[in-house]
Amino acid sequence: MSDVTETLPQHAIERLKGLRDTNRHGGIFTSDFSVNEFLMVGEAGFEPLGLVIGTCIYHTGIQYAGWAKNQEMSVLSQAMYEARELAMSRMEQEASALSADGVVGVRLEVKRMDWDKDILEFLAVGTAIAHSKGHPGFKGPAGKPFTSDLSGQDFWMLLQSGYRPLALVMGSCVYHVAHQGMLQSLGNLGRNTEMPLFTQAMYDARELAMERMQHEAQEAGAEGVVAVQLHEGSHNWQPHVIEFFAIGTAVKPIEDAAIIPERLVPQIVIPVND
Amino acid sequence: MSRFDRPGKGLPDEDAGRARQSAWDTALSQGSLPAFVKERLAETASGKRPWVTTASPAGLLAQRSHGIRPLGLVSGNCWFHYGYSWTRGHYEGWHTAIDRLRLEAALMGANAVVDVTMQVKRMPGEGNGDHMDYAVSGTAVRIDGLPESANPALATVSALEFARLLESGIVPVGIAIGAYFNWFVATGYSAGNALSFWNQELGPLSTFLTQVRRQALQELRDDGMRLGSGVLAHTQHSELYRIEADENNPYTRFLARHIALGTAIIHDSRTRRPFGVRPVLNVRDSALLAATDTTKEAL
Repeated sequence: MSDVTETLPQHAIERLKGLRDTNRHGGIFTSDFSVNEFLMVGEAGFEPLGLVIGTCIYHTGIQYAGWAKNQEMSVLSQAMYEARELAMSRMEQEASALSADGVVGVRLEVKRMDWDKDILEFLAVGTAIAHSKGHPGFKGPAGKPFTSDLSGQDFWMLLQSGYRPLALVMGSCVYHVAHQGMLQSLGNLGRNTEMPLFTQAMYDARELAMERMQHEAQEAGAEGVVAVQLHEGSHNWQPHVIEFFAIGTAVKPIEDAAIIPERLVPQIVIPVND
Repeated sequence: MSRFDRPGKGLPDEDAGRARQSAWDTALSQGSLPAFVKERLAETASGKRPWVTTASPAGLLAQRSHGIRPLGLVSGNCWFHYGYSWTRGHYEGWHTAIDRLRLEAALMGANAVVDVTMQVKRMPGEGNGDHMDYAVSGTAVRIDGLPESANPALATVSALEFARLLESGIVPVGIAIGAYFNWFVATGYSAGNALSFWNQELGPLSTFLTQVRRQALQELRDDGMRLGSGVLAHTQHSELYRIEADENNPYTRFLARHIALGTAIIHDSRTRRPFGVRPVLNVRDSALLAATDTTKEAL
């Protein structure tokens, strides 16, 4: 723990201490939980410690792609990956300093700056929580706090299904989609036909993003990944450059039989007002 | 500082990139998949790699209650150029993408693909109006007690809703698509009518748009008939454009199009099981949630 606190500035440590120490007069937690989330995290046997954040402002390097070529923009792929990693690990550091078991409700945001198209801001923010009775069986990989983008309710639900979260895992791939040559464009005029170069670019980029996310989960020692989202977007890049981004929570079965919740028998409810 | 070790880190490998390209090229033209995709599917299905699901944790309960086990993500897409027919484009584009997704699911030995999402992408810029990408992705699942399937069922609903449908004796089998477009040349339709001072229906246009919508729904019905006994259409979208006369077209023209997408189901109303209705109060406070949204605007 000491090696972690050494890398954090004094004011951050003080802020975190104030949150964790419930014996101290004025000790208080912060969180962006909704009322229901707060109640369900409590129901799951956890208490919130404080909001933890990680920020990274990143200048992406330059890479040129062949005009008529499908290819991964590996410089950009790495930039997007590394910057998210930095934001995430800084948030994890704050959670470690709080002696948290994990962080739930993590939001990972990317913002672009108006003043420079090569600069992106990455933010990871979530609520650090700890098991109220200090059970040691909830830590993430390598004894670090677990991370998850699941809400408080979903976190409760996950434990009910006999799983615990390990880590927020992600995979990204930035890809340059080849331009069509003039001859090919003319050939397509008025025809109904597939454009295989474009199809392949989208297929390959998506495949790489999914595979990388799954690889991270494997590294984390997970049995599976839940609540996976697949995003496709372009962060102010040239029109033919796209990013596929896969993100989800790696999970594994709860090992300690004593803390596996009683088997929940779900009742199917159909809301009749929507 | 890295959280996880990552394969393929380091300098880009030109040759590896080219090899991937030609693998895709060969595979897609033969209606197959590259070896590296097959490997991911096989290793995920066998449990060598972690399973992956788009379901929320509640979906994991369906694993216990209904024996629906997630396998992994499957997807397919098709970038289609619809030169002469927007309708054919939508039909072929979606169906090619769906066939590819189904192939991935079959390679995993899945019984069904749930939570199938459909997405289109256009290339920005001029001259890109006549082609787009049709993409589908979803979670392949195995149902305990059923043998591996070469032709998995597809459903746009989540694993939980899939379980609910099965419980009521309904089997989602696939995705039905109906799309239709047509032109209307306003020869007898004078612009003066629309500018007049009294209330009146623009009759010819109403009739035109009605006919386009009807035709699209007819296509949806025909497509659904190949698959099952009913279609739950969840998406309907129509557009009407006015295009002014030019040197090639002496009259104002109107372009109307309508698309309807839905989950095709097999059901038999005679064997439908009734379920008891119980009133439940949902304590999710939307007023409170709305308040948190306003802070974003205030900042």
